[in-house]
Amino acid sequence: MSDLTAPPDHTERHETVWGVKLLGWISVLLGAVILAGGVWLILLGGSWYYGLAGLGLLVTGILLNRYMMEAAWTYLAVWIGTVAWAWWEVGADWWAQVPRLVAPTLILVLLLLCIPALSRHASKF
Amino acid sequence: MTRHFSIVTAALLAGAFPLQAQQAPAPQQETVTPEPVDDTADHNTSPDETSEGTGQTDAGQDAAPRPQPQVGADWPFWGGDAQATRYSPLDQITPENVSQLEEVFTFHTGDLPEGTAEGKYSPEVTPLKIGDDLLMCSAMNILISVNAETGEENWRFDPGVPNEAIPYGATCRGVSAYTDPSTTEGDACATRVIQATLDAKLVAVDMETGTPCEDFGENGTVDLWQDIGERVPGWYAVTAPPAIVRGIIVTGAQVKDGQAEDAPSGVVRGYDAVTGELAWAWDLAAPEQNRNGPPEGEVYTRGTPNMWTTAVADEELGYVYLPLGNSSVDYYGSNRSEVENEYATSLVALDATTGEEVWHFQTVRHDVWDYDLGSQATLLDYQGTAAVLLPSKQGDIYILDRETGEPLTPVGELTDLPKGEIEPDYISDTQPISEWHTLRKPALEEKDMWGFTPIDQLWCRIQYRRANYQGFFTPPSSDRPWIQYPGYNGGSDWGSVAVDTERGIIVANYNDVPNYNRLVPRDEVTSKAINRQTGEEKAGGGAEGAADPQEGSPYGISVNAGWRNTGTGVPCTRPPYGGIRAIDLETGETLWDRPLGTARRNGPFGIPSFLPFDIGTPNNGGSVVTASGLVFIAAATDNLFRAIDIETGETLWSTVLPAGGQANPITYEAGGRQYVMVTAMGHHFMETPVGDEVIAWALPED
Repeated sequence: MSDLTAPPDHTERHETVWGVKLLGWISVLLGAVILAGGVWLILLGGSWYYGLAGLGLLVTGILLNRYMMEAAWTYLAVWIGTVAWAWWEVGADWWAQVPRLVAPTLILVLLLLCIPALSRHASKF
Repeated sequence: MTRHFSIVTAALLAGAFPLQAQQAPAPQQETVTPEPVDDTADHNTSPDETSEGTGQTDAGQDAAPRPQPQVGADWPFWGGDAQATRYSPLDQITPENVSQLEEVFTFHTGDLPEGTAEGKYSPEVTPLKIGDDLLMCSAMNILISVNAETGEENWRFDPGVPNEAIPYGATCRGVSAYTDPSTTEGDACATRVIQATLDAKLVAVDMETGTPCEDFGENGTVDLWQDIGERVPGWYAVTAPPAIVRGIIVTGAQVKDGQAEDAPSGVVRGYDAVTGELAWAWDLAAPEQNRNGPPEGEVYTRGTPNMWTTAVADEELGYVYLPLGNSSVDYYGSNRSEVENEYATSLVALDATTGEEVWHFQTVRHDVWDYDLGSQATLLDYQGTAAVLLPSKQGDIYILDRETGEPLTPVGELTDLPKGEIEPDYISDTQPISEWHTLRKPALEEKDMWGFTPIDQLWCRIQYRRANYQGFFTPPSSDRPWIQYPGYNGGSDWGSVAVDTERGIIVANYNDVPNYNRLVPRDEVTSKAINRQTGEEKAGGGAEGAADPQEGSPYGISVNAGWRNTGTGVPCTRPPYGGIRAIDLETGETLWDRPLGTARRNGPFGIPSFLPFDIGTPNNGGSVVTASGLVFIAAATDNLFRAIDIETGETLWSTVLPAGGQANPITYEAGGRQYVMVTAMGHHFMETPVGDEVIAWALPED
């Protein structure tokens, strides 16, 4: 995209970039927490999902901070895996899906909003 | 805590309804001659437990069965009819017109928590309706009579219960009424309203005026603390209406949980309904010795299983059915006596004329889970046999022969249960279960953990994996927490069940929540027993067992009731947390089952979500079933009062209460109109808003 001349556009891009940064750090933080708890859970003999998903989210966050489009692909994989796992665990139990799907899907939506900014960076570098 | 009572009043629309006609149907006219005394004498002596030297008192004059008032226009017993079915023959309000219900009146008792009572109110009251009057008690035992048609107050009598008497919560579930057959209408106290109070007094007042009955005890009051021992406010309190059978008032008491092994006795006593004199005492550890009270200078056996809930009585047999709790302390048992082990968590049938045991049926062996029996039993006819239906906190439903205690439905046995490390010699490796019907759900798995986000769900999974959990009846542990599922508020609690005797349907609401517990080694226990506290130190209104000392045992107890996540307050297990179910009385099969309670008032950090979905909340308080096929129930923490179609389980009508409705509703007729009523007063344990409202609805008048 080559619209560097228009000030409003510039501002918008600036904010979007900061949005990417923010989501990146949130993902790093949440990913680290979930990875740590997930490893603990694995050591206790529990589900491996959290360890893997936490790792995926951490990586997503790092990639976001580098404005890399791979962040989207990584997170998409995490989200698809999450949906599959959630369905395998509790199926159509709507209430049981709340903690499994609501927050991960919210992150997916935010991430999709970041894609234009990531594309700009991808084309720029 | 609940009990039951029986009343005889004049002029009860006899024949207003075909109650369950099980065992010798109660005569429907007051002129009816009681059953032959010989017959009942047979019943009294046939069981094996009869002993010589009966402590029979002059209650003998009352020993013949009386006609019992009928449910219909009136709601004469806490459980509706004398059988405690909570079934009403009224049918003016139907599934077709229930949506037109409108509020007729709201009565305010004026009893709201002040000072140290803040945060300790849990009224749970269900009024009686007799003649033109509604008769009830407030949280702090103020007796009130209200006009059943208009909601105007007739009279009130305040026995002056002090705040310090509040045990776990300020609860008065209801009152009982008794008509003295030797009086004529218009005599003072011909019909008397009887309640027992939080400060352990038995109070009788005239139903017409609210004036204390002078001939009853001392100016209308009997001190139940007599022969109990050290008088510690809050340690010995009555929260349930007494049962009245053959002219004898039968009451137990709530002994505050978790305090000390040396707790007040669980003795159950009978008092003459006219004079208030002690008729007999049933001290399960010394039944013969203490039948007429303990010897001079002694007290009833301390620490024995008590009866805090409501008994039901069979006037014909002269038996009263007592749902007992477990021994003090609740979560440790190695130093309980053999006789305590024998009776704890049992339904006990006593001959109410003599106080002698007839039979008992135990639902938990060596109970270290506080699975005390909380529900009032219900009398019914089961396949031609006079039976008693017993729901338990674990969710099991038993049907027993009323005369012998023999199960009429299959009772199975769990074997090879884990024995734990704390007291493996005490923990029973077998337990009885009902193979006829249970409200209990399958054991918890890691995937049942919940939260609002993946992070709190993950933390709950970690807690689950760290805990000691080996399914139902996992024994207590101390090195790590243990999961108790169902929790102590699981299955059926004091709201009991309703039985539609015409359709043959049991309606049972239930809780489905675990507790997350840990035995706390003595040297880490910071709380003190209630009798060791001084000054400002008072046990709070928090969940029972939240931090109880259990003095005299090696451990205190920490209970996370409902297993809620620290911080968010969100439960660690997935919804639903409570439901309501219809069960075929003949087969024990589930007809329908649904979550009870919407998410409108629930959410993380205690913030209401206003979501109208049926999440299924914890619920306490039972239901009423009407002949037209409606189930009325509040109970859930969403503060809704609803009418449910008994055939389908569908909610046909609901209305928002101004406070929590953790009370059993009633229905009655006044001035040709059918009313439904529930009290909305809140409940500290259920975390619902406090109120003082008694609300009645009816169809619009033409």
